[in-house]
Amino acid sequence: MSVKYIPVQWNKNKWWYDGFMLAGVVGFLWVFLYVTPEILSHERPINPQIHNARAFGACAFFMMTIILCIGPLARLDKRFLPLLYNRRHFGVMTAAVALTHFSYVLNWYFAFSGTNKYEALLFSNTSYGQLVGFPFEAFGIFALLCLLILAATSHDFWLKFLTAPVWKRIHYLIYFAYAAVVAHVSLGVLQDQQNHLFTVVFVASAFTVAGLHLLAFLHERKAGDPDAVPDTDGWVQVCHAKDIPEARAKIAVLPSGDRVAVFRLEDKLSAVSNACAHQNGPLGEGKVIRCLITCPWHGFQYDIRSGRSPAPFTEKIPTYNLAVRDGVVLVNPKANPPGTYVEPVEV
Amino acid sequence: MKPPVKKDTTPFFVGYFKVPKKLRSFLLIAGVAVVAFMTAFGLVSGASQDDPGDGAFRFDYGRQTVTGVIELLPYPLLHVTEGNDRIKPGHTLMLTAQGKSGVFSRAEPLEGQKVTASGIILERGALNMLQVRGGARGLGPAEGSGAPPVSEPLGRWKLAGEICDGKCLAGAMRPGRGIAHKACANLCLLGDIPPVFVSTKPVDGSEFLMILGKDGGPLPAIAYDYVAQFISLEGDVSRHGDLLVLRMDPATIEVMK
Ligand code: FES
Repeated sequence: MSVKYIPVQWNKNKWWYDGFMLAGVVGFLWVFLYVTPEILSHERPINPQIHNARAFGACAFFMMTIILCIGPLARLDKRFLPLLYNRRHFGVMTAAVALTHFSYVLNWYFAFSGTNKYEALLFSNTSYGQLVGFPFEAFGIFALLCLLILAATSHDFWLKFLTAPVWKRIHYLIYFAYAAVVAHVSLGVLQDQQNHLFTVVFVASAFTVAGLHLLAFLHERKAGDPDAVPDTDGWVQVCHAKDIPEARAKIAVLPSGDRVAVFRLEDKLSAVSNACAHQNGPLGEGKVIRCLITCPWHGFQYDIRSGRSPAPFTEKIPTYNLAVRDGVVLVNPKANPPGTYVEPVEV
Repeated sequence: MKPPVKKDTTPFFVGYFKVPKKLRSFLLIAGVAVVAFMTAFGLVSGASQDDPGDGAFRFDYGRQTVTGVIELLPYPLLHVTEGNDRIKPGHTLMLTAQGKSGVFSRAEPLEGQKVTASGIILERGALNMLQVRGGARGLGPAEGSGAPPVSEPLGRWKLAGEICDGKCLAGAMRPGRGIAHKACANLCLLGDIPPVFVSTKPVDGSEFLMILGKDGGPLPAIAYDYVAQFISLEGDVSRHGDLLVLRMDPATIEVMK
């Protein structure tokens, strides 16, 4: 959580996370750059600059593929949630790898001419009216810009500055970036392949991303959060009190579309907004640890009674008034202002 | 009596706490899987690259200096009259400057004259090109006079193949052709590098033909849209020295599947 902004608040798990991801990137690049030339044993090797450009480009693609698989995997199986925890570091690494790809391309294909490199990149091929021979570089530039924007705004400072909903919306750019990369590769290097192995792996990766998102969507439709049932006085029924496990919550969708999470702590219930103030993480899938609701995504914490982060942190989430009648939990769907104290209700 | 309170024992991960025991092995496997997948993808992507062919700068030949006669088509050709061990008299060389520029402006004042050309050879199979040094030492007037050989018309042909920039194709880049290289090829061609048509079927023994506009001018603008694509086209072929030249008819260009 944020008190003051330091570049990265490190902890052991982040080191492990980055270590594995970095090892994956190093593994990819090392094999591509140093092992495969031996395997290929072409009579005359591919130019090192082209070989490097391909290595970093392909690496960035697979990194984006992994990044985009983590989300739906975590929705399908909660054990993947920790992979979400530090995903932004992997995203920043991806932007760096993609930028390296760009610079190899720019300083090779678009260098050595009387024209400025950047102008050459934009204007050498202007066959926008056709599919084969389309300036696929444009898709690459778009994707790179997206990745750079995402990397530049990845820090919590921007999250706070832009507010979580805006930040999240900006970060949906990753989907457009991925689609652009698929187009970039499909209209570029795939057009020339004689050996189709890469094409197969590439297409399989893209389908995995699409397939996992579809699966997660279907899963959520089937096992998604139930709608709250209208009751008297405009209140709504959320669930049976006995169904809420100790230190955990049940989530329900309110008529407004917002979600409420009702937590149990030692036979007392409290209701808060399900959306974490950090990145809208699903607080109701979190856990109460020492009286603090703890978000399953990055561990932001809120006092179960007031929705306030413990000092020195300042985040606040809305709370809800609730009641228990015949074992059924009722909630007033009108949220209290963020940070409003509500006395926990005895079951 | 109160009903017993439900327990949810799903392990709960909090980034700044120790990883719950139950999750540890799962996460370890996931981490190792990421590393393994990435390494495997690196292997597959790297090892499935196509052979870029044998085109190359022949620095190993050393600097080549030959004498010959300049013909402007308008891309300059050098018809060699006095060669050396590697470049025989009677051979016709396409010329290029360093980088993505041709030598038109340097060759123009020397049109039809005897010159000495000096530089590095680019070679890909039967295709070669001379990258001349800068200044008059790269391309300068020579003693004596001469005239380019009379060209020999070979009639109208319909050919299938690819328009490339002759320099990358000959080995300035490996690979130096194909769609992924199209923008680079265009940039070379805009810089007056001689364009070369790579025909799927040899014409009079050669699969490489220098390609010009219908009227014998430089590559027409419309042809740029088709660079690096597999196309068919028609045109008049003629022999200039030992080099074939195709004057293409842009109206006949068809994209092949
Ligand atoms: S969304 Fe990041 S901690 Fe809740």
